[in-house]
Amino acid sequence: MSGHLDEIKDAVIDGKHKEIEDLVKAAIEDNVNINEIVNDAMITAMDVVGQKFADKEIFVPEMLVSAVTVKKGLGLIKPLLKGKETEPRGTIIMCTVKGDIHDIGKNLVIMMLEGAGFHVIDLGVDLTVEKLIQEVEKMKPNILGLSALLTTTMPEMKKVIEELKAQELRDRVKVMVGGAPVNAAFAEKIGADAYGKDAVEAVRISRRFVGQTEPFPL
Amino acid sequence: MKSTSHNLVMSALYNGRKGDRPPAGNPTSIVCHGLMDAAGISFPEAHVDANAMADLALAGHEILGFDTVMPEYSVHQESAALGCDVDWGDRDTMPDSKTSPYADFSDIQIPENILEKPSMRVVLDALSILRHNVGDKVAIIGKVMGPWTLSYHMAGTQNFLLRIGMGEKEKVIKMMRQLMPVTIAFARAQFQAGADVLVLADHVTGDLAGPHHYRELLLPIHKEITSQMGGPLILHVCGDCNDRLELFAEAGFDVYHFEFQMDAQVVVKKVGHRMSLVGCVNNPQVLYQGTPDDAYAQARYAIEAGVNIIGPECAIPLATPLENLEAIISAVREGY
Repeated sequence: MSGHLDEIKDAVIDGKHKEIEDLVKAAIEDNVNINEIVNDAMITAMDVVGQKFADKEIFVPEMLVSAVTVKKGLGLIKPLLKGKETEPRGTIIMCTVKGDIHDIGKNLVIMMLEGAGFHVIDLGVDLTVEKLIQEVEKMKPNILGLSALLTTTMPEMKKVIEELKAQELRDRVKVMVGGAPVNAAFAEKIGADAYGKDAVEAVRISRRFVGQTEPFPL
Repeated sequence: MKSTSHNLVMSALYNGRKGDRPPAGNPTSIVCHGLMDAAGISFPEAHVDANAMADLALAGHEILGFDTVMPEYSVHQESAALGCDVDWGDRDTMPDSKTSPYADFSDIQIPENILEKPSMRVVLDALSILRHNVGDKVAIIGKVMGPWTLSYHMAGTQNFLLRIGMGEKEKVIKMMRQLMPVTIAFARAQFQAGADVLVLADHVTGDLAGPHHYRELLLPIHKEITSQMGGPLILHVCGDCNDRLELFAEAGFDVYHFEFQMDAQVVVKKVGHRMSLVGCVNNPQVLYQGTPDDAYAQARYAIEAGVNIIGPECAIPLATPLENLEAIISAVREGY
């Protein structure tokens, strides 16, 4: 059993996207528990990938391939999970702020959050404050993740938080921010709840935050 | 040597005579709301109209006191000419490309008259206007995108990096080699139009790619580009590039424009004997959110570390206070 899990884990870490489906099929055929395939092989592997990325042992190209590998593997497993799905850990809205279409960082965070069991709503790029507020009211997320690559767009994060306050939504959603020009001091200054320096930290923060917000009114 | 703006910059590009003081330079945009208001010129006009482009660049010298003028504020002049749908933004938003026309890595169709496409012509015309207006007083900086950055625009950044991760080297190198002539043609045309020095921006940043990717995929191409250029070239790569500085020097660039997250003393020690250096006042924390004292202190730190030309680390946020940019000028005017 552990042989299958080790093989799948190694395939994800090494980005063997062409081999992953055969490995997962073989594990399923040998009746390996699918929760173990997800949790002990794939999610564990992505934790390793995230740490290697944080340590600069690997870079975005390698991390993207690992994420593609996981996605392919999960594609085989998801149909088997139907009816057995457990409650997601929480709902997170992710987007880049207005004027910023650079979404790799955001996408990597989403991949890691989904791998960690969160329900992630990807609103894409270049989100206006107004649109974001509408989505928060509609989707009622636990966490709002804002990303900016450019120093020219990071001021938009502050506008989002100010509008959440103006609409009396601020206590209902935790706001985490990230992106190359952003740091913890900036996050504090604009009133965000947390700054995540990379995808691994975003997962850690999200695990901490879920359950800490006031419920949305029904 | 007379310490004119032009002479100070041109000498500093080759680590030459120092003159009375270090020059202040901007390889990337120093346009902010305050400068637009002071010059009476705004975005997006300054991206698409040659006179507005040149006048706003000149404001960086005449109003702020920088020793360079640099008229290209976006990174999308070439991509627009190559078929990307570019939104030129507004007063509060920088231009961005909305499409990636070669996401399938098919052969890039380079228009025969690419230098006459509006987004290219406007830069060449602005440089000619500046040459005519500033004469020998100020150093004029032109700007081109390198094949790596152009590939981000053509294929989509994530898509391009994913292909690299998947080991599709031939596909990636082929795209960059097809784009290299655009970089070279635009660079030559900018020198002919009046640029004294060119920035080549190629974002193989530590945030996105590793030094091994640079060495294997882009370094040979950069070597070819630098060997074909007669004038001085400044490489601009943002992010933490400590692990590839020596490779940038090996590529043959005359100058490297770097960010504050790399310690100026370390950068000077590592490659200051092989390349001149320009930078590195921090944008997000200092120029945008900090005080003039913060900007002054960072500029002085860079001067004392031996950075040749002092300026912001990258294109500044549009909401940057003008006085924080003026503090850089105060710092250089104190001399060495």
